[in-house]
Amino acid sequence: MSLKILLGLLAWGTLVGLDLVSVPQMMIARPLVAGPIAGAMLGDVWTGLTLGVLFELFQYEVMPVGAVRYPEYGPATVAAVSAAHAAAGTLGLGLGALVGLITGMAGGVSLHVVRRLNTRAVRRATAPLEAGDARVLVRLHAAAILRDAVRAAVVTALGLGLALLARTYLAGTISVRGVILLDVAAVGSALAVGTVGTLRLVGRGPDLRWFAAGVVSGVAVAWLR
Amino acid sequence: MSAAPRRRPAFGRSLLRLFTVQGSWNYERMQGVGMGVAEEPLLRDLRVAGNGAAYRAAVVRGAHFFNAHPYLCGLAVGAAARAEHDGVPPEQVERLRTALCGPLGSLGDRLVWAGWLPLTSGLALIGVALGLGLKAILGFLVLFNAGHVALRWWALRAGWAHGVRVAVALRQPLLQRATAVSGRAMAFVVGVALPLVARYLGGGFLGWSRVALAAVAAGGFALLWSFRARLTGVRLGLALLALATFAGWLWP
Repeated sequence: MSLKILLGLLAWGTLVGLDLVSVPQMMIARPLVAGPIAGAMLGDVWTGLTLGVLFELFQYEVMPVGAVRYPEYGPATVAAVSAAHAAAGTLGLGLGALVGLITGMAGGVSLHVVRRLNTRAVRRATAPLEAGDARVLVRLHAAAILRDAVRAAVVTALGLGLALLARTYLAGTISVRGVILLDVAAVGSALAVGTVGTLRLVGRGPDLRWFAAGVVSGVAVAWLR
Repeated sequence: MSAAPRRRPAFGRSLLRLFTVQGSWNYERMQGVGMGVAEEPLLRDLRVAGNGAAYRAAVVRGAHFFNAHPYLCGLAVGAAARAEHDGVPPEQVERLRTALCGPLGSLGDRLVWAGWLPLTSGLALIGVALGLGLKAILGFLVLFNAGHVALRWWALRAGWAHGVRVAVALRQPLLQRATAVSGRAMAFVVGVALPLVARYLGGGFLGWSRVALAAVAAGGFALLWSFRARLTGVRLGLALLALATFAGWLWP
């Protein structure tokens, strides 16, 4: 992988990480978007789409309410696609999921760290804020966004580093059966997480009937194709 | 002191800043600083009117604790800014902001996080599973953000239009209906998407691996459902991947 592509992935992962919470929340942070674009940068849209779909299912579990902590799957998907691409398509699905889930956990921890740093910065600026100094207010806000950009870049770099390690030390050493088992674990867990996450959103109310009708329709379409 | 707005309010600048409302999210004021930054352009009229003290006091109030759904923060920004211009007593402005946190959070969570977002994402998943590829992703971005930007713009304008009587905007029948319909539509669309995605991701598995995939998905579902207070998706995924690596090593 060339340095140009690596820097491109780093920039894309940073934008994706910024979009999650800070700016502009237009959902490029969704794995379904982050993955295919990373795949296109690597000339491998198929791997990007597949891992995008896989991590989108994991994303269904996340409800970003208040101060709740959750994994960050955007930069994680970028790193996962980078790991899977070099391991040749389907063979790299499990490897990509492994790199992506670890990166996602690290992303979640980093969000908490940045929020704590923001809290400290706000406490330090209490006096000018309580004096109504709009310039301090705007500077504080801009610095926090910059902090989040650095955080997103660090998480993406960590993920890309993990992908490099996985490609170098794991890709060639796992047997074909081992690769299939990894793929089974990745896809099976994603389907389980996606279904449970959706059921939590749907709840036990009247929407559950609509969900059941959807599943029946989906099975019919899948069977007919 | 009441100071009626002299110029057209800076909605554009305020809206742009609202896109960054969570940029300085912290455990003390949560979205407060971002709210203050977004409200500030709407308060400049107070300074222009020669009322610097009122402007600074309004900026202070604007940056106090706030937490709601980010797409609906504009409603509180617009309402609070309008109240400041209308000369509403400071304690009433503070009460208005506090009172809006719960309803805006609850409405936004149901309408966007549990409605519009999974609905449009589910449509994109269906599109990818049916072979539309990048067109499905582009469609998702356009469709989702059409609703997203419209909601932010409506919220800011409605907040400014209603001021302290902003609750009227929240009781709009269209909003209530959209919340109910988006929940039902989301449930149906994601229901359709799941089997199609299972086929898309599982299509390459044959023989014993297909049986193993079904067993892992069913077992994972049972574990997540049974231990939902403790077991998260990322933990389940990592545990299963570790188990698979170990099994692959034992059974080369």
